[in-house]
Amino acid sequence: MDFGYTTEQEDLRQQVRDFIDGNVSQGLLDEMEGGEEGGRGPEYRELVGKVADMGWIGISWPKEYGGQSGSRIDQYIVEEEFMRRGINVGGAGSGAPAILAAGTEEQKEYFIPGMIRGEIIFALGFTEPQAGADLAGLQCRAVRDGDDFVINGQKMYTSAAHYASHIYMMCRTDPDAPRHRGISIFLVPMDTPGITVRPLWTIQSDPPAPLGTTYGMVRTNETFFENVRIPASCMLGEENGGWYVGAMGLNLDRVGASRYLISVRRDEDIVNWVKENDFGGHSPAEDPAVRDKLAELWTEAQVCRLMTMRSMSLVNRGGTFTYEGSAEKVWAPEHGVKTTEAISQILGPYAQLLNGSPEAIEDGLYAHNLMGSFQSGINHGSVQIMRDQMARRGLGLPRG
Amino acid sequence: MDTLPSEEEQMIKNVARELLEAEVTTAMVREMELDDLGYPPALWKQMADQGWLGMAIPEQYGGQGLPITYLGLILEEAGRVLAPVPLHSTMSAALTIVSDGNDQQKQDILPAVSDGGMVLTYAVHERDARLIPEAMQLQATKDGDGWVLNGTKMFVDNFIVAQRCLVAARTSPASDANQGISLFLVDPNGTGVIQTALTTLAKDKQSRVDFKDHRIDGAALVGEVDQGWPIVEAMLDRATALLCCQMVGAARKDAEMAIEYAKNRVAFGRPIGSFQSVQHMLADMILHVDGGGMLTFEALWKMDNDLPYSVEVSQAKAFCNEKCESVVRTSQVIHGGIGFMMEFDLHLWFRRVTSWTMRLGTTYDHRSRIAAALLDVPGKVRLGMPLPTAV
Repeated sequence: MDFGYTTEQEDLRQQVRDFIDGNVSQGLLDEMEGGEEGGRGPEYRELVGKVADMGWIGISWPKEYGGQSGSRIDQYIVEEEFMRRGINVGGAGSGAPAILAAGTEEQKEYFIPGMIRGEIIFALGFTEPQAGADLAGLQCRAVRDGDDFVINGQKMYTSAAHYASHIYMMCRTDPDAPRHRGISIFLVPMDTPGITVRPLWTIQSDPPAPLGTTYGMVRTNETFFENVRIPASCMLGEENGGWYVGAMGLNLDRVGASRYLISVRRDEDIVNWVKENDFGGHSPAEDPAVRDKLAELWTEAQVCRLMTMRSMSLVNRGGTFTYEGSAEKVWAPEHGVKTTEAISQILGPYAQLLNGSPEAIEDGLYAHNLMGSFQSGINHGSVQIMRDQMARRGLGLPRG
Repeated sequence: MDTLPSEEEQMIKNVARELLEAEVTTAMVREMELDDLGYPPALWKQMADQGWLGMAIPEQYGGQGLPITYLGLILEEAGRVLAPVPLHSTMSAALTIVSDGNDQQKQDILPAVSDGGMVLTYAVHERDARLIPEAMQLQATKDGDGWVLNGTKMFVDNFIVAQRCLVAARTSPASDANQGISLFLVDPNGTGVIQTALTTLAKDKQSRVDFKDHRIDGAALVGEVDQGWPIVEAMLDRATALLCCQMVGAARKDAEMAIEYAKNRVAFGRPIGSFQSVQHMLADMILHVDGGGMLTFEALWKMDNDLPYSVEVSQAKAFCNEKCESVVRTSQVIHGGIGFMMEFDLHLWFRRVTSWTMRLGTTYDHRSRIAAALLDVPGKVRLGMPLPTAV
C-alpha cells in the first residue's frame, strides 16, 4: 500500500497548477458561465489544444494514438487539477476506454487523437424514453442496408448533443435475439442528415446556476434519428456485441477525478466558508453540532477519495473491477447529497437564495447544489443499480 | 499511490490468515472467555515464533524492524478470527517503549516481547474516561528518587496477565510549559496495586486498577518528568489505529458470514440473498468495511512515513465506530432469530466489535479532534492535502 505521490507526481501537479494560472482566460470563464455550451466553445478548444501539447491528456492511453502510455495516477492528477477549476480535460464519460478496448485500428487512429485535442467530443446516446436504468430495453433501431446501417429512434438526455461532433450510441440491431444480445454501438457524426436535437431545460436554468454548481448544466437534449444512414464502419465492436462493450466502457467512465470532485467539493467549500465568514458576528463553526457534522462529512469525503484512489490503483495495475467501480459510484454520490443537505441546515435560510438574489452566498451556489447533487446518484447507473451490481458481481448473490 | 496491498503485504496477510484460521476456533474463543488468563500460551508462543510479536520492533532488540502497516495486517487477521490473545495491548505498549523508552527499558522489555515471554498493557482511562490530559488525576508524588502512585485507572486490558503496564500519571498541575503528565512502567503485581475484574460485553479481560501508595523507582519513568502527554497521545494514536485493524478484520468476517447465510437461507421459496433489499444491505456492509479499512491503513502508512497522522487516526476510528457497528448489527438482522441465540457463534463477533467502538475514543471524541484540526487552524483545507498547521 502506498498512499502518497512520488516527487515527480508532485512536480507534475505543480506544473499543471502553474499552467492553469497562466492559461485560463477571462474569455474561457465567460464561456463556461454561459452554460449552454457546457463550457466547450472555442476558448475551451483552444485551451485543450494547449493542454494536449503539454502531453497531459490521455496520459494512460497508448502512445500510438496520441497518449503517453503512462500512469493512470498521473492522468488522475491532471484531471483533478483541471476539474477543480471546473474544466473537464480528462475525457471522463467520453467513451474513450471502450474505443481503446473494442475499436478497430482505423477507429482508434481517428478518434483518440481527435478526442485528445478536444476536436472530437461525444454526446452519449444510451437512455431512451422507455429505457433508462433498464438500458437493455432500448428500442432505437439500426437496420443493415448493404454496407450501411439506417437508424431510427430517439435518445434522451444527450447532454452534449448540441455541441458534440459525434454521438456514441447504442442501437438495437437484432430485435429477435435475447435483448442483451441484439444491441450494437455506433459512433455517428452529428452532422449526418436526419439527426434533430431538441433542447430540454433543466431545473438549473431559471435562474442559471453559477459556475461550479454540482450538475449545474442548464440544458440537456433529446435527439431524434430519422432514416439516419451511416456506413457500417461506424460500428464499435461486434455487431450485436454492443452490450458488453458498453458495460465495460461505463465501468471505466464512471470512476475518476470528475465523479470524486463532484461529490466532495462541497465538503471543502463549507469548511473554508465557515472559517472565514459569519452571520452578524456568529460563525456556524462555533456550534458543537455543526462541528460534529463537518467532521463526520470530512471523514466520509476521505472515503470518497480513497475509493477513487482504489479504482485508479486497479486500473493502473491493469486489473478489472468486480465491484470497486460500483462501490465508488454508490458512496460518492450519496455522500455528495448528504453534504449538500447538511450545508442547507448549517447556512439555514441563506441556503435557499438563488443566483442573482440579494444576500445570496457564493452566487446562490448552495441552493443550486441542492437541485443538482442527487443527479450524480442517477446518471451513469443509479446508486440502486450500482448496489445490485455490487451484490451480484462482487458478492456473488443470486438474481432475484 | 496504490491503495492495494503489495505482493509482500498480501503474503503476510495470507500467512496470518492461514495460521489463525487453522488455530483459532470459536470453541477456543468461547473457552478463553471463561479462562483465568484469557489466552492460550501455546498460541501466543506460536505467534512469537512466526515473528509477529517482534514484527515492528527494531532488529537490535530482537525484532524484525518492519513497518507498522505490516503489524496492522496481522491485527486485522487476528480480529477476523477474534484471536483471544493480548496482542493489541502488548503491541501498543511495546511500540511506545520503541519510540520513547531508554536503552535499558528497551533491553529489558523488547526482546522479551518479541519472543513471546512478556505481555504488556497500558492504563490511561480514569473515571472521566475521556482521553484528555485534564482527565488524568492519578497522582504520582515524588518520593526520594522514585514516586508513589495513588488513584484509579479504568478499562485496563489484560492487566491480570501483563508483566508490565504503562501508566499515565499526574506529576504536576498543567502549566503553560506542559500538561504535567508523566508515563511510568509499573509492575502489575506490585504492592498497593489492586485489580478488580470488570464484566464486559466482549467477555474480555478488563480491569479497574486502584493504586494505593504504590511505590515505583526512578528507572520506571518513560521519557521526561511532566513531559509524558505527547508520548501518551502517540501511544493512543497507534493503539487506536491497531484497534481499527481488528475492527475491520472482524467486521469483514461478520459481513462474509451474512453473505453466506443469505445465499443459503431459503424463504418464500428462494434464497433471501436474491431479495434486493437484502442485497443492498450486504452491499452497504462491504462499502462500510472497505471504507474503514482504507482510512485505517492510510493512517498506519502515514505513521510509517513520518507524516502527521492524528487526524487520520481519528477519521478511521470515528468511521469504524459507526460503520463497523452498523455491519455487525446488520449481520445480526440478516441472520434473524438464530443470530440471537447463545449457541450460534455470530454474537461473538457482534459483542467484540460493539465493545471496540467504545474503546480508545468515542465517535464524538474523535470527531471533536477532527473538527478542531479542520476549523480552528487558519488556512484553507483541501482533501488529499495536509491540513494547515498552527504556527
